[in-house]
Parts: sequence; C-alpha cells; structure tokens
Amino acid sequence: MRKFLNRYRYFLLAVALLLATLMLYSYNLRQKGATTFFERAVLTLAAPLQSSIDASTDYLTDLWKNYLWLVDTRQRNLQLEKENRELRASLRQVEEFRLQNERLRHLLGFVDDIDRPALPAQVIGEDASSWARTVIVDKGSLSGLRDGLPVVSAEGVVGRVIKTAPNSARVLLLTDASSAVAALVQRTRTRGVARGLGVDLSLDYALRKADIVEGDLLVTSGMGGIFPKGLTIGRVTQIKKDEFGLFQEVKATPAADFSHLEEVLIILGEDE
Amino acid sequence: MKRFLLYLLAGLFCALLQSSVFPLFLAVGLRPNLLLILILYLGLSENLSRAVIVTLLLGGIQDSFSGTSLGLYISVNLAILLLVRLLSEHLNTESPPLLLLLIAGGTLVQNLLVGFCLITFADAGEVMRILLAALPQQLLANLVAAGVLLSLFLRLQPRLGARSGMAGLIYQSKRRGS
Repeated sequence: MRKFLNRYRYFLLAVALLLATLMLYSYNLRQKGATTFFERAVLTLAAPLQSSIDASTDYLTDLWKNYLWLVDTRQRNLQLEKENRELRASLRQVEEFRLQNERLRHLLGFVDDIDRPALPAQVIGEDASSWARTVIVDKGSLSGLRDGLPVVSAEGVVGRVIKTAPNSARVLLLTDASSAVAALVQRTRTRGVARGLGVDLSLDYALRKADIVEGDLLVTSGMGGIFPKGLTIGRVTQIKKDEFGLFQEVKATPAADFSHLEEVLIILGEDE
Repeated sequence: MKRFLLYLLAGLFCALLQSSVFPLFLAVGLRPNLLLILILYLGLSENLSRAVIVTLLLGGIQDSFSGTSLGLYISVNLAILLLVRLLSEHLNTESPPLLLLLIAGGTLVQNLLVGFCLITFADAGEVMRILLAALPQQLLANLVAAGVLLSLFLRLQPRLGARSGMAGLIYQSKRRGS
C-alpha cells in the first residue's frame, strides 16, 4: 500500500486537488445568494480600477467626439434641430397619453407598475468570459444593494444582482443561460419562463394551445418574488408548434439593448 | 515571492483588460482570454507547486470577474495546468509554434470543461450551444493575442536577456549572446 501511495503520490495529489476544487464549486453553487470573501475582496480591489478605466474612456471619447472629430457637425446640427422640433411635438402627445393613462388606471383600479425606490448605476465592466452574460455596476452594498435585486433599463428588464461588494456589484443579465424569469405574454396573459440563450431568449413552458403570435410583448409576471409585475422583457420573434407535445417553442428578443448598456436602474425595497 | 506576486498582478491586470477594456472595442466572442494564456505559460515555465498555487488564485480571480459561482475556473484552470504539465515533459516547450498549438488546444479544452461543469453541476441549459457558437471566434482571438504577445516577447528578449526555460522563447541572453 505504501509502495502504491509512494509511486502514485503526485497523481493522487492532483486528483485530490481537482476533486477539492470541484467540491468548492459545487458548494458555492448551493450558496447562490452569498458573495464569498474572496470574490468581495477581488471586486473591492478592482472597482476603483474599473471606475478609473471607465472614466478615462469617457474622457477620451468625449475629447475625440467634441473637439477632434467634427466632420459634418453643421449638417448634423441642422438635422438635430429638425429632430428636436419633431420630438417636442411627440413629447406633447406623449404627455397627453400619460395623463389619459393615469386617468384610466385610476378608473380601473389597475396597478401593474413598479412603485419602488430605484437607484441609478453605471456599468463599469462586462463578463471576462465569452459564455456568461454578466456586467459590473458601480454601486454596491454601501449604496444599499443586496443579492437578488432586480435591475432594469429604460427599455425593460436587464437582470438581477448576484454578487455585491461595498462599491460594486455583479448583475446576471437576462440573456445568461442560467437566468430564468417568470413571464407573461401581455396580450393573452399566457404564462411561461423566459430563459437566456446568450443573445436571445426562449419562453419555456408556454402551452402548445396558447395563443402566441410573433410580435407579442413579454412582460414579467411578478411570480418568483424578484421582478415586479409588468416590466417589459422582450418581443416574440419565432414560434414553433409541433403536432404533439405539451409546449410550443417560443423565441424572443430582449427589449434592453445589452450591447450598449451604460446606465441601469436597480430597484430597491418592496412595493410602497 | 516576487514572481508569485508578479503573476497575480498580471492576472488581475488581464482580468481588468478582459472585463473593462476589451468590451469597448471587441464583440463578445472576439475578446481574447489572456488568463488562459497566462496559465498555459505558467504550466510550461514555472515549477509545479508555484504554478498550482498561482493557478488556483488566478482561477478565483477569473471566477470573480465572470459567471455566477466561485470555483468553476479554479477547477477548470487547475485541470488545464495539470494536463499541460503532463504534456510538457514530452514536448519541446521552447518552440513558439508549439506554444500557439497548445493555446488552441487549451481553448478547446477549457470550453469543453466549462461546458461539462456547468451542465453537470449547475444545470445551465443552453450554455453548451453558447460556448460552441463562440468557440471559433474565441480560438481566433486567443491565437492572435498569443501571437502578438509572443512576437513582442521575441523582439524584447535580446534586450531583456530572458532567463532559460521560458515557454515559446528560445534561450538567449545579453551575456551569452543570441
């Protein structure tokens, strides 16, 4: 036995080390809500560096765009003035719609909106791998963030906070393969689970007989306790129904533009 | 100890580049995995105990900058390091083309191991499809990055008088000439 152990000691040591790391991974998977000391330390150390990189990039981009690259500025200015006039007209119309919506909602007693405090945050980093879809934001536990808080943008749901350090936090995007959000087809109230596919989304568990058409809007259902009800998730782009089977295959495009994510809102607390 | 800290700082620098600088210029699949290149380099150049400890810590750093749980890249990078170590005894580690070949192999193995771990332990659904779709671009990005780094080292080597036993670098020094 001793001879065997001596002969294969490096091999056995390597196997033991590998098993230990896999057990560590498995253990951490079960502790999903917790940010480990090591991760907190690395994120804390990296946050100021990432903020500096972000600030320097913004500065250089501004310098380039505002002082150096001024080709077509006059034409663009004229075009923007025209757009501005059009937008002002649209804005007046939108304001009219908002007032009308407010009156109707009050009339119906239908409350399907977020009514929670929200904290704006800036995206300062993205995932270091090619397969995971996470971003790092510049607000952390010192600003009141904790694991599990929903993150949105003006377009719709972005994801949820999964790790927090004092001055930064990691957000799991809607498009990550491990992300799942309880969803509703807004038009027909068909239920399903919106899962990430890297770039797009799939709506799982939508019954085959349910009425879903391309272009339907997906919103959060409020089930699961993370996202408030009624937030925009995305639009249905593809539907496949087999002759048999319980569910249909539904693909959707997320409403939020994850390739140009700069500012997000983190929804804090419970409904007021 | 000095080299140990140097590797850790280099790892942190690579992670920062990957998470904060590359996303400004490169699409998701086209961002090179510099930490993988560093780990392969460690496997070929450093003594085993130092390489193992640094790899574990670099894996932890990579886990802090990507994915959802600590431990995935610690396991995967350790497995890659041990594989490289096994192979390196039978290979001419001073050959630059071989280093590039190892980086291509390392990228494939890393993606497969990450996929295997995520499917086995985390039930991460469509992750294998995402990984395989990004693999050709990832391979290209890693090879280009390794090629650039290698050519940079080879140009700087005569000036720096690099030590012997560095992977991908034929031994040259100021004192001994090229």
